[in-house]
Amino acid sequence: MFEPKRLHPVAVLSSILQTLKEAIIPLVVLLFLGGSSGKGIQLIIFSVICFFLIVFSVLSWIRLTYWVENGELRIESGVFVRKKRYIRFERIHSIDVSEGILQRIFGLAQLKVETAGSNGGKPEAELTAITKRESNEIISIFNEVKKAGKRKLESDCVNEAVTGKELTKVEETDIDSASVVFKQTFPQLFLMAATSGGVGVVLSGAVAFLAQFDELIPFKKISAEAERFIQSGILLIILTVFLLFILAYLVATARIVLIYAYFTVKKVEEELIISRGLLEKRQLTIPLKKIQGIRIAENLIRQPLGYASVYLEYAGGSASDKDTVNTLLFPLVKKEQLKEKINQFVPGYELQTELKGLPKRSYVRYFFRQLFIIIPIVVATSWILWPWGLVSFVLIPLAAIWAYLKFREVGWNISGNQLQLRTRIVSKQTYIFQKNRLQVFDRRVSYFQSRKQLSTIAATVKSGAGPREGKVVDLEQKDAEFMNDWFSYSEFKKSEG
Amino acid sequence: MEPRNRISSKALKVWRISGVINAAICWVITIAVLVVTILFDWSYWAIGATGLISTAVTYISVFLFPSMKWKRWRYDVREKEIEIQSGLFIIKRTLVPMIRVQHVETNQGPLLRKYQLASVEISTAATTHEIPALELTEADELRFYISKMASVEEDDV
Repeated sequence: MFEPKRLHPVAVLSSILQTLKEAIIPLVVLLFLGGSSGKGIQLIIFSVICFFLIVFSVLSWIRLTYWVENGELRIESGVFVRKKRYIRFERIHSIDVSEGILQRIFGLAQLKVETAGSNGGKPEAELTAITKRESNEIISIFNEVKKAGKRKLESDCVNEAVTGKELTKVEETDIDSASVVFKQTFPQLFLMAATSGGVGVVLSGAVAFLAQFDELIPFKKISAEAERFIQSGILLIILTVFLLFILAYLVATARIVLIYAYFTVKKVEEELIISRGLLEKRQLTIPLKKIQGIRIAENLIRQPLGYASVYLEYAGGSASDKDTVNTLLFPLVKKEQLKEKINQFVPGYELQTELKGLPKRSYVRYFFRQLFIIIPIVVATSWILWPWGLVSFVLIPLAAIWAYLKFREVGWNISGNQLQLRTRIVSKQTYIFQKNRLQVFDRRVSYFQSRKQLSTIAATVKSGAGPREGKVVDLEQKDAEFMNDWFSYSEFKKSEG
Repeated sequence: MEPRNRISSKALKVWRISGVINAAICWVITIAVLVVTILFDWSYWAIGATGLISTAVTYISVFLFPSMKWKRWRYDVREKEIEIQSGLFIIKRTLVPMIRVQHVETNQGPLLRKYQLASVEISTAATTHEIPALELTEADELRFYISKMASVEEDDV
């Protein structure tokens, strides 16, 4: 650990694959596009690119060394420009361990080191392939330094503390002190995957993928074929579309099962450790004090089944990382257990069940907002598909029902330092915020709202690198003022009068 | 009670000038359409429509919006929080606690500089808020005051 070391040779393969993955579209275009005459030249260019890619990857592997010295993680790298990065362990915010498929085959791990400065999107340092023993060592040094940090130990002492025996001890105590553990069972995992609405992701992915190739696919030929195809029967088309949809649904479900398999949350002292993944294992460490709020989502399928998902709004990690923006705490949990589980894992957050709703007069506004979307559609379809388009008038009572469903779910509660907001966009969303985590609070009143004594409020916390806004529309104006006064840090109440 | 302080009355002038610039761009396009209409014998639909749109843009961006916006804009900087009111059709009142403020800066574009104005931009960890046009001295004072009050304590974001 204290000698300069190279990454495992698999790192070369991993970097080649990474580059190929990023450059796949230009490469494919290079290979298949262009005149039919120059195929040979294209192949030569392609192999030259591949050759340089391999040489460069090997060189960067040779040039990258890492070791621990003087309480610092030291990394030296770079083929043409030498880069020396010395990161003090005290400065490290979090270490993210993951195991991709490549790493799992060879029993390796990938480390990502985040510091406060690495907000720009990329982690401060990345070791793509090291043995698990080494990754454990680095993590336990990091944990040691963090613990020692409170006692303000000298960096020399830290080095002394990191002997082999100490390390194993630290790990054992860590596991023991994980008093609270949440495990997602497999039946629940399947239920979660099946009700996630991930089909959209797969379908849009497929469309995006096909769109990349729209210049390659001979559409004229296809549309001629399609004409014949359509003539052979509308039923067949419907059947094919239906089958494709089922296929997409299965793929989406399988994808989510793979991502969230073995989902486990452990609470170790002041940290939550979330690990998941079947093919690609990921582990995320979140200090409790970095948590800015909690969001409970119940989508249209899960709500009647009595299940909800719980997300953490958490201010850390890099901007580009999707995981830090939507951090799942519990993928699927029974509604009755929500209150208890949240309180167990994130102390201080108390889910309230008694919410104050909206006044009856705001329902009209909820209905009108739906009508604004529906009326143009109804008019257009009625006109274009006269007289059958008139059927679309059915949409108006449906809009009234949907507006009522939205209206009914809205509510708020203030208890002590905690603000709870509930609203429905499509899924039912419940936000729980603490006053000392809220960045900003605002009230909005339009002309029509002020005539009805209603207003809209929004409370904002930090989530990932950006804001997350909890919003409630068409609230009683007095309630909005009450919430404003609750948030206000001034002694006198300015909304009076 | 609304926040007490208004922004500088010169802001009205600055917004009108930038409205004039917007309108001027519209009229340049209108003139181009007119020339093309005469040269190529187009029907009068196009020139009529662009002329109408340009007139509307001129009225809205030079006369209507600046005065509406100016009437709405209010702010109040108290010991422990900042309150900002803004908006055209929807009045928005934002409350920013001092301890959430990460940094404050004053900005001055060429137009603002000509009228000795500056805008104050207040950033929290997640959001930014702007008070658009204050007298330069007032803006500087505000910046000093807010950054002094904001540096009191440090929470985790």
